Amino acid sequence: MRLAAAARGAIPGELSELASPRWVGRALLVIGGAIVLVYPLISNDLFYQNLIILSLLFAIGAVGLNVIMGWGGYISLGQSSFIGLGAYTVGILATRVGGSPFVWLPAAGLVAALFALVLGAVATRLRGHSFVIATIAALFLLQIVATNWRGFTHGTTGITLPIPQWDVAYQNWPFYYSLMGLLVLALLLSWRIRKTKFGTGLIAIREDEDKAATVGIDTPVYKSLGFAASAVFLGMAGGVYGYYLTFLDPTGMFDIILSVQIVLAVILGGRGTLWGPVLGAFLIESINELANQQLGGGNSRLLIFGGLLTLAILVLPKGIIPSVEELWKRRRAEGTAALAGGRLNGLPAHPVDRRAQPAPRTGSSLLELKGLAKRFGGVHAVDDLTFTVEEGSITALIGPNGSGKTTAFNLIGGTMSADGGEIWLDGRRIDRLRPWRRAYLGLGRTFQITRLFGQMTVLENVVAPMRSFSLSQLNAGAMSGPEASRAEELLQFVGMREFRDQRAAELSFGQQKLVEFAQVLMLDPKLIMLDEPGGGINPTLVARMAEMIRELNQRGTTFLIVEHNLPLVLDLCDPVLVLAGGSCISSGSPEAIQKDPLVLDAYLGEDFKLEEPVGAH
Amino acid sequence: MASRTLSLSNVIAGYGYGDVLKGVDLEVEQGSVTCIVGPNGAGKSTVLRAISGVLRPREGTIRFEGSDVCGVSPAQILARGIAQVPQSNGIFPNLSVRENVLIGAYILRRDRALVERRLGAVAELFPIIRERGSEKAGNLSGGQRRTVEFARSLMLDPSLVMLDEPSVGLDPKALRAIAGAIKQMSEAGKTLLIIEQNVRFGLRMSTHGVVMESGRVLMHDRADTVLGNPEMTDLFFGGTVAAGPRRASTPA
Repeated sequence: MRLAAAARGAIPGELSELASPRWVGRALLVIGGAIVLVYPLISNDLFYQNLIILSLLFAIGAVGLNVIMGWGGYISLGQSSFIGLGAYTVGILATRVGGSPFVWLPAAGLVAALFALVLGAVATRLRGHSFVIATIAALFLLQIVATNWRGFTHGTTGITLPIPQWDVAYQNWPFYYSLMGLLVLALLLSWRIRKTKFGTGLIAIREDEDKAATVGIDTPVYKSLGFAASAVFLGMAGGVYGYYLTFLDPTGMFDIILSVQIVLAVILGGRGTLWGPVLGAFLIESINELANQQLGGGNSRLLIFGGLLTLAILVLPKGIIPSVEELWKRRRAEGTAALAGGRLNGLPAHPVDRRAQPAPRTGSSLLELKGLAKRFGGVHAVDDLTFTVEEGSITALIGPNGSGKTTAFNLIGGTMSADGGEIWLDGRRIDRLRPWRRAYLGLGRTFQITRLFGQMTVLENVVAPMRSFSLSQLNAGAMSGPEASRAEELLQFVGMREFRDQRAAELSFGQQKLVEFAQVLMLDPKLIMLDEPGGGINPTLVARMAEMIRELNQRGTTFLIVEHNLPLVLDLCDPVLVLAGGSCISSGSPEAIQKDPLVLDAYLGEDFKLEEPVGAH
Repeated sequence: MASRTLSLSNVIAGYGYGDVLKGVDLEVEQGSVTCIVGPNGAGKSTVLRAISGVLRPREGTIRFEGSDVCGVSPAQILARGIAQVPQSNGIFPNLSVRENVLIGAYILRRDRALVERRLGAVAELFPIIRERGSEKAGNLSGGQRRTVEFARSLMLDPSLVMLDEPSVGLDPKALRAIAGAIKQMSEAGKTLLIIEQNVRFGLRMSTHGVVMESGRVLMHDRADTVLGNPEMTDLFFGGTVAAGPRRASTPA
């Protein structure tokens, strides 16, 4: 859906809208939804009712899993633990306390979500395969507890729920429609998350977790909340499922095959889409039933799931819905002109700055490094590095390749932790803080090789940063509202507004630099650290970048800039700090630095002349 | 002047969201050093991708040494004598300098004598390959790393070498070193096609200059003519150093 919308933004009204996959998708959705809605009313076929009930269960699981897997990028094979937890919660409460199992569904959702929060807090410290294994371990742990805590769960004997009391004429309708209602709720939650900064933050984590941390995204909290969101409705659905089966036992409820089926549904339908997981769930469950009925069940379905996964990865690595959208987008873009970089026209409009008054150069230090050290093996990348950045200054950090400039940036920003020394920002010691805490205190940085979130649009990239952690910001709209309009102003400022709907990965290197600059401005930082802002961008644009830096500086932002473009450094920065071998060998005004014999020897070279900085023919 | 070794005519290409190149005509002379400059996103890297076969043009022709190479696979392009040094750092820091260079001859690995001969020739051009051959490439400075990348691209003895922003991320000393390396490759008979954002650096070491804008070639001439063109300077090359406003003169 997202891609179709982006394409529409870029090429307005080219072809008939009615033939777009958006409308075809909507039509199919309405037809499919209507069939599922009225099926039990028009048919008594219990086989198909059962098929749809199970499909709905998996769809709820897959829509939830998509939050943490499609957007957050974390694959969980432990989703069936939420089914089991929900079922057991409902089963135990209904048999011990009494009442209809349906009354206890909210409790099932709560227990599942709480367990996900706790598991998330632990497991989301891990990445990649380790996370997957941790989720499987949690599932088996729950199974073992359910088996052995006989006094509470009746162990392998299981729990038998009361037979439903409603009229036989209603058949399975209560199960059917409560699952349908839960699916609608799960979809609403998923849709809402995608629209907010919480959703953009999750995608940022998927795209580049370390970078996400530097733009103020509190990654453990995001991941835990995402995990809880993936669990809440699945827990409730698990309660319905348990009641539907009327019998709970540890192996049937905490079944890893259910988890596998949920993961497969997300992959097949399309990760990171709203409807893909639903489509995937219905397809997978249909195939599953077919295998059970026609192909001997049991082992044959394992074979089929394995084969399907292989096939999906080979043929449709992105899943059905994204592949169709991609194909459509390509066909539609055929022969049209893409936006391409041209000359710069006019000066950009001024961005709205939230801080009221420009801070004058106070002479006080904003950033202070004291004896900072970092070793890689035997190499002292940063060695007893001490310097200060004065508030309101544009300070340059120059030095030969490998002198430790970027490492120093990584240490200050928190992407790496130092082996020794202290870092102070605005009177607070920050070297033990996590990267997002440093961002909240007013520290922003860019990267030498830009690190935008490639699959997000330009606008989403700029919206993603968080100035502080608050639930209201998590819930703030990402594509409309004040956050989005602020992002658009910043894009205008760097001259990239017309590219707002393009995916960041589609931009050229220099354009990515500009977007990353806008992204860091979104944090309203007191101190901006730029890693080679002029590298790889056109000279006219370098000049504009310099103007932007000056303008922001006049309104109170302090800059620390790593740059090799000497004319730019000498023109823009004062003072200039010179690094060599991991420590600061000289500092002073641009005029003084050019004449310093230490600097000439280590960096500029004996024959340095500013007017001709490079060896010409 | 010598004959044309590479010529693009009306090349139209894109990445699936519309055409980035909107009809590019470009001729590269045998033995020349041609530098493409222009705004970010103008399509410079896309031109290189179309030539190297990574991106298949939708329309137009690309001829290299007399034959049509449009739509030919990247491996075939390489075999026909076009090598490319990519923009991002392509050094494997934990391999030795020698191993890093040898990767460039991977498809020849069974012909050991030929590989040794090529390595000898490359080391002749860039003595650092012999002098520091057994050291880890990670220990080299920025300019030396780039030189190793150049050396790697020469292992298949290409006639055309394409360099995507060789200057990016290099300190002033390294910049002079790689300017020297580029000159050496040119003197060794290679035709060079370079993309540079450091416009003055790029054009000064080139014989020909190409200015691209919005997916088209705006100007193609001798490098000094391009560099001296006041309109191009105004639009794309930035003011001279002396003309830039000084901090002291900006109102606070």
